[in-house]
Amino acid sequence: MAEIICDGKTTRDINTEIKHLIAGGETDICMKNPVARHNLGVAILQSVKLTFDGSVGYYCAGMVDGPTVEIKGSAGWGLAESMMGGTVTVEGNAGNGAAASIRGGTVVVRSDAASRLGVSMKGGLIIVGGNCGYMAGFMAQRGTIIVCGDTGEAFADSMYEAVCFVGGNIAELGNDAVIEKPTEEDITFLESTLSQHLPSKVGNSQTILRNFKKVVSGRKLWNFDKDERAVWREAL
Amino acid sequence: MCGIVGFLDKTQNINAPVGKTVLTMLTALGVRGPDSAGVALYRPPENGAFTLQVKLGELEGAAERGTSIAEGVKAFGFVHEVKTTAEYLRLVIDLQVQKDPVIGGEVTSLTQFIESLDEDIEVVSMGRELEIVKQVGTPQNLDATHNVSTFRGTHGLGHTRLSTESRVDLSHSQPFWAHNYPDLAIVHNGHITNYHKLRCIYEQRGVRFYTENDSEVIGVYLADQLSQGLRFKEALDASLTDLDGSFSYLAATADYIGFAKDPFAFKPLLFTETDDFVAVATEEIAIRAAFGEGYEVREAQAKDVSVWQR
Repeated sequence: MAEIICDGKTTRDINTEIKHLIAGGETDICMKNPVARHNLGVAILQSVKLTFDGSVGYYCAGMVDGPTVEIKGSAGWGLAESMMGGTVTVEGNAGNGAAASIRGGTVVVRSDAASRLGVSMKGGLIIVGGNCGYMAGFMAQRGTIIVCGDTGEAFADSMYEAVCFVGGNIAELGNDAVIEKPTEEDITFLESTLSQHLPSKVGNSQTILRNFKKVVSGRKLWNFDKDERAVWREAL
Repeated sequence: MCGIVGFLDKTQNINAPVGKTVLTMLTALGVRGPDSAGVALYRPPENGAFTLQVKLGELEGAAERGTSIAEGVKAFGFVHEVKTTAEYLRLVIDLQVQKDPVIGGEVTSLTQFIESLDEDIEVVSMGRELEIVKQVGTPQNLDATHNVSTFRGTHGLGHTRLSTESRVDLSHSQPFWAHNYPDLAIVHNGHITNYHKLRCIYEQRGVRFYTENDSEVIGVYLADQLSQGLRFKEALDASLTDLDGSFSYLAATADYIGFAKDPFAFKPLLFTETDDFVAVATEEIAIRAAFGEGYEVREAQAKDVSVWQR
């Protein structure tokens, strides 16, 4: 395992060093003392393991495709934004816009996520161990969001084909979001996904798993129909 | 884009290293706002006197203006201290106030007297516990001028500014004292979009605005709410509906520090709280710089209002 001591280095120094190590064949790199610097570990396109031994700032692991990223502290705004593939895990809390517009891969926030989680996502999987804030899943087109705790207001607003599962309370559903009964397939999916990524949260308790609410689009906003003007007025 | 920070010592220690902590956090946020920096720091008064930080102005004749202020204010009460640092005059004066806290009365008369001596003069802060210093330049420069890092007290706010719409000068930088309301100060990151409307309402009531900076209205607004009898937390709660736009702001009085975040969570603001202290900052980098990794930091949610009493 290679180590990068971040003290005294700029973001550019650290990111260049990561790329050099990967080019040299290194597959397991640990960043010591990142102290919440922004833009760390962005645009990594290889299946390597990156560990941040502390908190990271904005846009960590943005635009990546392939790496397994572990963040031992918390993360700032735009965590894993626009990622294509790989896995990003945060031990602590994540800031606004975590996993916004991802197209693939998995983002795990073990504690809480702030506002605008997974907005406009086009694929992939987001798992939050705690609660999420305002407007999670806004205009999400495809992919899955699992929130084990409570959600903020405007949850799953104006979604397309993404699917959300919520273990706790939903403060308020967004426009055109509807609650649906999870299928047996959904329960199996939740069980396997959560036991893999957050084993301590749910374990194998069927009661907890069966209490998850499924939220999908009501499809009222997909096509404009002038008879439903009232729905549009409300949504806009 | 601006950076704001707040710190409160919760251990009843009135000699906490507030200046050093606020400055460390502010320095870490320096890149968010490279044009101006300022702090609002609080410590209990030694003798119940009021401390004033007065801007003497950037034009020539500052020394003369300082002398005439020092002479003139003797009519208001016993003057404990007069000191000039850079473009500031610092005054410590006994002021008998009838009602406390209050807009108007002796606090206003003293402010009006000082500011009547020259149009360039501004009372930047007044209060029994509050002192504001701010200037164009970096947090490091602010410390070099005013020895901010040696200040000990109970709590404080800090601001590093990237001006987007109004002038870059001392008066337009933050924190803002809520003029005429002793000890009330604010720092703001964002944009108040109903500023002109609110300003118009307050001006019709006779409130003087000192700058074209929209953030100034937050202090005026909170002073108005508190004067009407709202508690500190209630005033911050009310601001969520009365202020429009994007905002994360911190406000403080002698007893309280608190923040409010707009209903769309447009602007970042994170905080950490332990039994010993509360720290709030625009970016986590500021909290890590001052306190290290050992604390859980979380982003405030949309419509969050949190208040702590010292």
